[in-house]
Amino acid sequence: MEWWKSLFRKRALDAQLDSELRFHIEELTEANIAAGLTPEEARRRAVLEFGGREQIKEELRDVHRVSIVEGSLANLKSAFRFIRKSPSFSITVILTLALGIGANSAVFSAIDGILLRPLPFPNGDQLMELRQYNPKTRSPRTRLAPVRLEDWNRMNSTFQAITGYYTEDNSETSGPLPEKVTQAFVTPRFLQVWGISPALGRDFTREEEHFGGPNAILISDRFWRRRFGADPNALGKKLRVNGFSSSIVGVMPASFLFPDRDVDLWSAVPPDAPIAQSREWTWYLAIGRLKPGVTLEQARANLATVQKQLGIAFPKTDADLIVAIEPLLGGSRTAIVSQLLTEVFVLALAGAGLGLVVANAASKVFRTLAADLPRIEEIGLNWRIVLYSLVCSVLATLICGLFPAICGTRRNVSSSLTQSSRTQVTTRNPLQWLLVGVQVALAVTLLAGAGLLLRSFQELGRVSPGFDASHVLTFHISASYAETADWKGLTQRIDRTIDSLGSLPGVETAATDGTLPGVPSHFQIELNFSEGQQDTERKIVAESRFVSPAYFATMRIPILSGELCRESPDSLKSINVMVNRSFANTYLGESTALGRHLQEVPISGLLPPGEIRGIVGDAREEGLHREPGPTVYWCTSASGPDPFYLIRTRTEPMAMAETVRQKIHEIEPARSVFNIAPLTDHLDEAFAENRLRTVLLAFFAATAVSLACVGLYGTLSYSVNVRRREVGLRLALGALQGQIVKQFLFQGLGVSFLGCVAGSVLAAAFARVLSGMLYGVSPTDVTTLLGVVVLVLGVAAVASLAPAIRAASVEPMQVLREE
Amino acid sequence: MTVQKSDLLQGTLDLLILKTVALGPVHGYGISQRIQQVSREALQVQQGSLYPALHRLEKRGWLQATWGESESGRQAKYYRLSAKGRKQLQIEESEWNRLSEAIGLVLRTAE
Repeated sequence: MEWWKSLFRKRALDAQLDSELRFHIEELTEANIAAGLTPEEARRRAVLEFGGREQIKEELRDVHRVSIVEGSLANLKSAFRFIRKSPSFSITVILTLALGIGANSAVFSAIDGILLRPLPFPNGDQLMELRQYNPKTRSPRTRLAPVRLEDWNRMNSTFQAITGYYTEDNSETSGPLPEKVTQAFVTPRFLQVWGISPALGRDFTREEEHFGGPNAILISDRFWRRRFGADPNALGKKLRVNGFSSSIVGVMPASFLFPDRDVDLWSAVPPDAPIAQSREWTWYLAIGRLKPGVTLEQARANLATVQKQLGIAFPKTDADLIVAIEPLLGGSRTAIVSQLLTEVFVLALAGAGLGLVVANAASKVFRTLAADLPRIEEIGLNWRIVLYSLVCSVLATLICGLFPAICGTRRNVSSSLTQSSRTQVTTRNPLQWLLVGVQVALAVTLLAGAGLLLRSFQELGRVSPGFDASHVLTFHISASYAETADWKGLTQRIDRTIDSLGSLPGVETAATDGTLPGVPSHFQIELNFSEGQQDTERKIVAESRFVSPAYFATMRIPILSGELCRESPDSLKSINVMVNRSFANTYLGESTALGRHLQEVPISGLLPPGEIRGIVGDAREEGLHREPGPTVYWCTSASGPDPFYLIRTRTEPMAMAETVRQKIHEIEPARSVFNIAPLTDHLDEAFAENRLRTVLLAFFAATAVSLACVGLYGTLSYSVNVRRREVGLRLALGALQGQIVKQFLFQGLGVSFLGCVAGSVLAAAFARVLSGMLYGVSPTDVTTLLGVVVLVLGVAAVASLAPAIRAASVEPMQVLREE
Repeated sequence: MTVQKSDLLQGTLDLLILKTVALGPVHGYGISQRIQQVSREALQVQQGSLYPALHRLEKRGWLQATWGESESGRQAKYYRLSAKGRKQLQIEESEWNRLSEAIGLVLRTAE
């Protein structure tokens, strides 16, 4: 402190020196006058006698200036001396800070990348997701018919605009080879709702949004760069998608990734097209932008009124529908923020993490692990994160340094460090031990969470899914919903493709399925038997899957009784079904199922009554973590224009990819094959989010355990150092070394044990949050908790042992001599 | 004899100052006058040595300084001995006595 004071008070110092010296000269002058000299002569003599005044002042300044350098040098020296003298304590502090800053920075870089940077569209809180909802059916939420969407938009008074969209994977054929593109079909007002305009070019015109108008298309920044090398002249060029030629009218900003990051093209669907007029179509997901100042409740009330009016006008299709409105960004964003903030809070409490270099590496790891999180490519180190780290380290230093300094003691810290530390016998540092205990407790909590998730994965791996996912290759073949106008033709086309694939050398069987087996999905419908007495008391509800007959052979799902279903030439007229064992046991009891007919409730006209041809084994097709439920398989290869193709290969599945591609190109030159991947990859991916959670939690847990160790080691080392003299005395008086080791070891373990108890309580509370992500293991699994406690106590024992042994190896005579 | 800056006599000047200040608070001018008087004009302290010595002793905590009014009514910087300085004075006095005794011994033996 001395040095900066003198820096600030340089002027004051100079003034003081001046007046001190001036006083001397004036006194000399007085004395000379008293001796009988004239005032002028007296002063002249005095100045002469006094000598070089400036020179003296300079010397005096030197006296003070030396102190600046001396002071900071002395501080540095004593700091280094302290580090040399207590390396364990210093390493503790340095490691703690490094770990804390690193982990914090990595997490903050994720928060910053995903959440804090402004979204690429204005007033995101005005954006709402609108869904229609029929509480009377088993799958109440459905997509929206184009006409109803237009009705909502026209009749409401709370939204600036409402728009809708859906996406489709298609082939673009204007280039030398067909290219798979993801195309979003949007209703008018799409860009208006988002509040953005194309980075280049323009929005759709009125004419382009009318049936029979010119075909226009907006392209993504990614597609623009990939296909046109970011050439501005791409505007006005033609693309050929699904056989329709459209002109490029605009390029969207790179930051606009809606409906998803893969979207390449946006096309307007004219609401007045003849094909769009049925109120039963389920095409669109709807979003709307609220008028300024309108609340969510007002919007809900308004749309409820609108839908009521529609219900009166169109009782058959609209009477049962309810409109659900939720903020598009609000909910999930808050959830992520609070989740991540909790993690940061835990970290901040633990004081955790690695240096900035480690943070950089960690954010790369996050990027790879979390490839599916939105905006993931924006995670990285930048000035904000560096600033954040600096603030963190300053705060950590202040809190860790000042708090104990102020609360812990009132004695002069520097003197106790430099001079009298040996004579002090501080046996207890309650604050330090409390911090260590808290560290241990948090480590136990995090470890328990990570342990539970890991055990869930282990359990999941042991599950027998009822189907064989190995050696199955999956892919899509581009197609358009327009093909659904002719189901018969569509079915024939897909069957032809399946036949060609099945006859490829190296392929055992080929099949299609509407959804991938083992990847979580739900499509439950209500059914009844079309013959005999209807059991109105008991509803029949089953998962529905749309598969081609070869599906069972391809997935190796055994047929238990009856025979394999046959593909019907026209699935709108008649269809075969298979049911699983669980369905037969639940709904048919002992009575035979074969030959009975199932029909959906209510009848939509899209599915004819299906005849049960056989019963197959139960399989966990709706997710490996779910018990198989009653399932009905509708035997049609054409569940839609583009089902999943599954082929069972004799060798490594990906080795067949090129063969498949060539074969499809040979029989369907206008279509592209995409998303080729082994089924096992999809199964892994389905649990990617859980895996990321597990890895993050394990990372935090490892950090917390390291911190707890470092804290325990440092505190115990400090305690051993302080008590060396006492230990020396006791050894001199005949105490055994083993007793000394035991004493210190138990001190460390005692605190750790209390930490473990507190941590277990915390973990039990925390486990409820996790329960939704667990499989085959209870949130309060005793084995996991015990394992964690044993692990932490083991680690704590190791961390305590070194200082304890060092305490026991004190040379009594040497310590006593040092005094 | 003039007390000059030299390694040997630096300690001596410090001793003289401490001893003089021990008698009561006094300013720099007063110190130089007193040393001169008490030594019967034998020792004359140069200002160029006196003031740096005073400031050094103050910095070491042996002297404490306060500003006050002098007999002539001017503002002057008064030095007084601190507890630490009093201890130091005792040490230096006995050192000096031992040294002068030793020198006396040598001189007597050499006679």
